[in-house]
Amino acid sequence: MAARTVRRATAALATGALALTTAACSNPGADTAGSGPKDSAVVGIAYEPDTLSPLLGYGKDGNSKIFDGLLAFDADMKLQPALAAKLPRVSDGGLTYTYTLRPGVTFSDGAPFTAKDVVFTYETILDPKTNNPSRTELDALKSVEAVGDDTVVFHLKYPYAPFAERTVHAIAPEHVAGGQDVNTGAFTTKPIGTGPYVLTGWSKGEKLTFKANPTYWNGAPAVKRFTMAIIKDDDVRATRLRAGDLDGAILPPNLAAGFGSDKGRKTYTAKTYDYRTVTLPTHNPVAGDTAVRRALDVAVDRQTMVDKILEGAGKPAYGPVPTDSPWFAKGTERRHDLAGAQKILDEAGWKPGADGVRVKNGVRASFPLWYLSGDKLRQDHALAYASDARKAGIEIKTQAGTWEVIEPRMKTDAVLAGGGSPGDPDFDQYLLLKSTLAGDGFNNMAWYDNGTVDRALEDGRRTNDPAKRKAAYDTVQRALVANPGYTFLTHIDHLYVVNDSWDGLSTQIEPHDHGLAAGPWWNVETWQPKNNGGTKK
Amino acid sequence: MARMTGRRALAAVPVLLGVTLAVFAVAEASPFDPVKAYAGTAGLTASQENLDQLRHNLGVDQPLLTRWWEWLTAAVTGDLGDSAVMRRPVADVITERLGWSVLLAATAFLVAIALGTLLGVLAGRRRGGLLDRTVSALAYTLEAAPAFWLGLLAIWFFALRLGVLPAGGLTDTASDTVTPDQVARHLVLPALVLGVSQLPWFFLYVRQGVGDALDEDPVRGARARGLAERTVLTGHALRAGMLPMLTLIGSRVPELITGALLVETVFSWPGIAAATVQAATAVDFPLLAALTVLATAAVLLGNLLSDLLYGLADPRVGFDG
Amino acid sequence: MADPRTHRLRLWTSALVVGAVVLAVLLVPPLVQLDEQAVDLSQKLLPPSWEHPFGTDDVGRDLLLRCVYGLRISLLVGLVAALVATVLGTAVGAAAGALGGWTDRTLMRLVDAFSSVPHLLLGIFVVALFRPGVWPVIASVAVTHWLSTARIVRSEVLSLRTRPHIEAAISGGASRRRVATRHLLPAVLPQAGLAAVLMVPHAMWHESALSFLGLGLPSHQASLGNLVQSARSSLLSGAWWPTLFPGLFLILPTLAIAGLAGTWRDRLNPRRRSELML
Repeated sequence: MAARTVRRATAALATGALALTTAACSNPGADTAGSGPKDSAVVGIAYEPDTLSPLLGYGKDGNSKIFDGLLAFDADMKLQPALAAKLPRVSDGGLTYTYTLRPGVTFSDGAPFTAKDVVFTYETILDPKTNNPSRTELDALKSVEAVGDDTVVFHLKYPYAPFAERTVHAIAPEHVAGGQDVNTGAFTTKPIGTGPYVLTGWSKGEKLTFKANPTYWNGAPAVKRFTMAIIKDDDVRATRLRAGDLDGAILPPNLAAGFGSDKGRKTYTAKTYDYRTVTLPTHNPVAGDTAVRRALDVAVDRQTMVDKILEGAGKPAYGPVPTDSPWFAKGTERRHDLAGAQKILDEAGWKPGADGVRVKNGVRASFPLWYLSGDKLRQDHALAYASDARKAGIEIKTQAGTWEVIEPRMKTDAVLAGGGSPGDPDFDQYLLLKSTLAGDGFNNMAWYDNGTVDRALEDGRRTNDPAKRKAAYDTVQRALVANPGYTFLTHIDHLYVVNDSWDGLSTQIEPHDHGLAAGPWWNVETWQPKNNGGTKK
Repeated sequence: MARMTGRRALAAVPVLLGVTLAVFAVAEASPFDPVKAYAGTAGLTASQENLDQLRHNLGVDQPLLTRWWEWLTAAVTGDLGDSAVMRRPVADVITERLGWSVLLAATAFLVAIALGTLLGVLAGRRRGGLLDRTVSALAYTLEAAPAFWLGLLAIWFFALRLGVLPAGGLTDTASDTVTPDQVARHLVLPALVLGVSQLPWFFLYVRQGVGDALDEDPVRGARARGLAERTVLTGHALRAGMLPMLTLIGSRVPELITGALLVETVFSWPGIAAATVQAATAVDFPLLAALTVLATAAVLLGNLLSDLLYGLADPRVGFDG
Repeated sequence: MADPRTHRLRLWTSALVVGAVVLAVLLVPPLVQLDEQAVDLSQKLLPPSWEHPFGTDDVGRDLLLRCVYGLRISLLVGLVAALVATVLGTAVGAAAGALGGWTDRTLMRLVDAFSSVPHLLLGIFVVALFRPGVWPVIASVAVTHWLSTARIVRSEVLSLRTRPHIEAAISGGASRRRVATRHLLPAVLPQAGLAAVLMVPHAMWHESALSFLGLGLPSHQASLGNLVQSARSSLLSGAWWPTLFPGLFLILPTLAIAGLAGTWRDRLNPRRRSELML
């Protein structure tokens, strides 16, 4: 009796399996996104936003899809008016910014957008009871007030030159978010904004779905349905792109290379300010030694790292500013020169010991280098760096750990770190190099302490004169050559592979933290479907 | 039977309570900082003051027993707290994902039982024969092979090389709705891998049972009486071999959960086991605690099922004809 | 069930494999003296060849060498973990069996409670809350694997208690501790030892699962599980060798150890039916 049941079950299962396989084989393209209407797009991203509320930090760099900011960056990273009708008027020596708002804008629920929404947004962010981890970015702001319905005035504590760039921040509706708990209210998962898209669903850990906002002030988008699939694992993302499940995805260089010969897809390389660097802590007797720092700086073979680890998608980095940026100080490039490194060390008294590792005054040239576990790119950079250093006689012991493990050791151990924001040089140089910020969370991890740099950073921040600012930041970069408290390794490009079904794709210069605001879909609302429907595979 | 169920249910309560307390105690001893986990990457550049404010707002600076008691009383009413990694109530996460895990587990179990029985019978019939030795060797190897390794190789072969099956996920990403045929296609590979990884035990057990039964007197008697081989096989040996295996299915739940943890991760199957791994990686304590307790409850249920089935099956063991 | 010839064949093959593994793991590192972390980016992802029998990984390291080092670490962690688990299990089992009564009941309740949590889940839980590293992994294995040893030792002790020489010792005035150390423990050791050896493959499996999930050993102490994990991205570029070989290196010693231990167990417990477990 049991046997008969089992036999029947087996038969059923076998038939089922057969049917499934037949179905799978007979319709290989049926479920793929490419054969769907080209007015919808599905992309794969690596990081999921923690929240969709601007009050908690979502959309602070613009491109938030659901919201707009007062201003916005265009493809060349220039500020353009968005919710503001024109660029702000700066007065009082840089302490006051006045914005006139665009008339006739409504939120997706029909309510009108007015100055009180702007005031509400910024005041809530500045409120300590709001769990916003990026509040420090608006440190210069003292207060904000509405003048009538269509004008907003910002008052700063000190003349902060790049303040206008901070106002690309998404604006939340006061009539919806004002009546709820800012940290746990429904608004964080069911947002309402003025932006080109409306959120239709958020399946946590899986995907976010958007549909076009028909009443968008800048014209309804041509791509009517947009889905962002959250796939943390690079390999899975690449596989699903290959299977036709996704129209586009961000990929690491080695996986993106696999799509190079694909006729129906295009690879977009976004230039970035995203660098990888090794912190050389001032408090470490070896890493804090200026001769060691300068030696490491020239011993490292940056170009090979770019060629092999990044598969060419990147460039050597000599400081936080990328070599092709207008803020880059010409002449601060360093050549890979192993012999030169050895000479520096010999002259400074670091003599090679029996095993090849240098010694000076009984101190062995050896220190640990931590990298984030699970981050392959950082691991590869760390291993290559340690290999190069070993050739010069400096022993670097690479170790993997989580931030919990690494953080308490940052004062004395080297760390493979990453960072970078485009836009104003103040944004990351100040936090990275100011001595007073040493040890403050993840700012200035190497406890870099250089008086020249400190003064130059303050000068650059508090003046509006472009020439003075360029001079200040040049000073910073030259000071870093003389005493490189960090060995900058590479600026990595972000690679995106997208089906060739739309026109109008471009990329901006991207920061280190690539959330859903980056990628060729930063302006998906302006994509136009191609006439021939695009080619697949 | 009802009495045993009742007694077991009662006995399960202190076990579950103990597990929850142990969970909180272990978390207490853990050096992880939940505030950093909440703040994510933005927390890397936030000021110390900002982080302290977050800490106070999240309420993580209270003593162990208080937090345990609060959690427990809330859990009984259905409020299991909020998951940091999924940014929504834990109860929602569970209700959404449990079904998919059950689907995967059930399908895998079916595969393992069906294949295991089939192969076990064939091998047990002629122990020492070519089929037996080949399949047995394969079974021992499969048992030693990690499920995640098998999964990766399966993806490489079926999804990349042959391109016939999808490499992960539940449905195709473009669709907002979940349709049965999409799910079925995506289910094939993970269920196959999970089932195959559980297969060895079923196969070896059935093989043992059938082989031993075929050596016993009743079978020899039946053969001597001239009964067809097929009747002998299905009437006596199969039942003798399968019954113990079926009754012990419930005890295989822990192995199944272990396998699911790995298979769901490899195939990005949106089930509860994948959520557990994510919760563990992100040290999302509320989710992790709830899922650990859930898994424990599942195991206890499995054991109960096993004992119930055994009690039912026992008077009908077919050796005596 | 298997004829003596197959039995002997299995025994000798297992012994050979285990011997080879031990030799490789002990001799290769000091002989080769390579920094197995040294990368050579120009050699990345080369398929198997004479020069690199297992190919190279994605930063140019020879995969055969990586597998040997990985096996070494996996084996080491597995051995230590199995040892810790056995000691823990023996202590608990002996205490339960020897002391009996209330202690026995409580300890067995504890064992039941622990066995209600799926072992990988418990293991994940333990490493999740402590920094992933060698000792949390060992603790994770120990915490999940002490149960079977405890049960085995307890039942051994229970059956030993009724043996004449034990009763004689007790009635002769020997203290509990003396009875335990002089009589019980030595008798229990063979079983405990066997359990420990049988546990090694499983401990290795557990550790590799944890490392694969990113919750195990840090990647600068790469075990075989770490190797499979880091091979994932290469797999999608079409390189199958970084995934295949570490897995094989995990399976072979597992089978060999299980084969050897199985023979030992059959010799130790001829009455017991062959259990099916590795």
